[in-house]
Amino acid sequence: MAEPELLLDSNIRLWVVLPIVFITFLVGVIRHYVSILLQSDKKLTLEQVSDSQVLIRSRILRENGKYIPKQSFLMRKFYFNNQEDGFFKKTKRKVVPPSPMTDPSMLTDMMKGNVTNVLPMILIGGWINWTFSGFVTTKVPFPLTLRFKPMLQQGIELLSLDASWVSSASWYFLNVFGLRSMYSLILGQDNGADQSRIMQEQMSGAAMAMPADTNKAFKAEWEALELTDHQWALESVEEELMSRELDLDGMFSRELPTGIF
Amino acid sequence: MRDKLRKWREDNHRNSEQIVDVAEELINEHASKLGDDIWIIYEQVMIAALDCSRDDLAWTCLQELKKQFPGSQRVKRLGGMRLEALEKYEEAGKQYDSILQEDPTNTAARKRKISILKAQGKNTDAIRELNEYLELFVGDQEAWHELSDLYINEHDYGKAAFCLEELMMTNPHNHLYCEQYAEVKYTQGGLENLELSRKYFAQALKLNNRNMRALFGLYMSASHIAASPKVNAAVKKANVKYAAWAANQINRAYQLAGRGTKENKCSVKAVEEMLESMQITMS
Repeated sequence: MAEPELLLDSNIRLWVVLPIVFITFLVGVIRHYVSILLQSDKKLTLEQVSDSQVLIRSRILRENGKYIPKQSFLMRKFYFNNQEDGFFKKTKRKVVPPSPMTDPSMLTDMMKGNVTNVLPMILIGGWINWTFSGFVTTKVPFPLTLRFKPMLQQGIELLSLDASWVSSASWYFLNVFGLRSMYSLILGQDNGADQSRIMQEQMSGAAMAMPADTNKAFKAEWEALELTDHQWALESVEEELMSRELDLDGMFSRELPTGIF
Repeated sequence: MRDKLRKWREDNHRNSEQIVDVAEELINEHASKLGDDIWIIYEQVMIAALDCSRDDLAWTCLQELKKQFPGSQRVKRLGGMRLEALEKYEEAGKQYDSILQEDPTNTAARKRKISILKAQGKNTDAIRELNEYLELFVGDQEAWHELSDLYINEHDYGKAAFCLEELMMTNPHNHLYCEQYAEVKYTQGGLENLELSRKYFAQALKLNNRNMRALFGLYMSASHIAASPKVNAAVKKANVKYAAWAANQINRAYQLAGRGTKENKCSVKAVEEMLESMQITMS
């Protein structure tokens, strides 16, 4: 049987769809500013700064080592990777993995993250569900299986209704994820309203700047540096240069005062 | 007006006199209209005033900043700079030490301490301190450049070359570093270094076709190698070819420059004569 084309009251569009969009957007903006206010300073120790820079230097050596003479490259590689006293072999940092429960600053950070992000989402989702219940809000453009019905059609008790017709709660969740790009347009990158990014961060494990990783990072760099070879980019630079005349266009576009003559 | 100041700030221009001229008027008349920009303008103006020995202006700026941001490390650093300008190096040093006690990762204070040593002419001490600083903060490119300058002053070209290599690695497309490196290698002398310098002059030219200094450097290093008694014939021939090409390009450049007035025509002739005379001495 062909799917019934439901004609939705245009009032729905006016009083449900648009308000939900506005609410989600404004809540996101407010979240962003609140997160800025609640941000705590991250204190970095000297060692962490120094280590991160050393790692950067080693990575640059790997990537751009081909621009310096072979001997210099080997000298630096030796400095880092030598068996006895290469930097990556010798330095062992004291490993103190800060577990979330014991490290007070991480704990407060987590709590703040939860409060600003998850809590409003739950609250507002529930409120919307309660206010805008009992009717169909919109239709998603692709067909869904029956499994999705209880999830997406929260207030609607029709068994025969196509699963593509969703309630306002699901429209709200759609908005939460969809407005992410709007936030980056308006608030700039790295904004506090970007929930999915934060959830991704939480899923990928603890913060990247953990000191326990330094030893592993060193080991990884050591291996990578062992593997790199030096292919001098300047082998045939003269030939390439002299294959054609220099491009001197526009060099002397205005009269320069010559001092000597 | 503020746009100009902002542009100077972002491009790191050091046109202190201009800034001071603009700033006095700006601050006296339009203070209210500048809003929050005024603090960063104060900082910019203060540094310019120190450059021009305008202690009065520097003092006023500092006072305003201190009132607004008491206990800020940035303001303390500016205070230290003012003491440096007044040549009260000991007090300035103590100021920076106090900043470092609060926050050991503050790079600005460390760099100011090193510049105090440099201002006092203690080059070797400055070099030593800068080395220690760079051990901690290997990524600081300004510091590497400064160290290379200090080494060049001390004629320690090997170490200067090392610093420039760091810079070349982090900025592979910057033709100026290539050229400076090539010049250091050329000064070091010796066949290998001359070959390296020729290669790096060529690289600098490849990155920027209009680098006249690199062009001249290419010519000189190629001629030098060609004139050296220790090379075999093939290398000599190649280098003569390079030198000829470079001379050609130099002439072309001066021709292009000399299209205009009569004076420039003399300079073209002078360049040709110079190149010929160099060839006679070399071959």
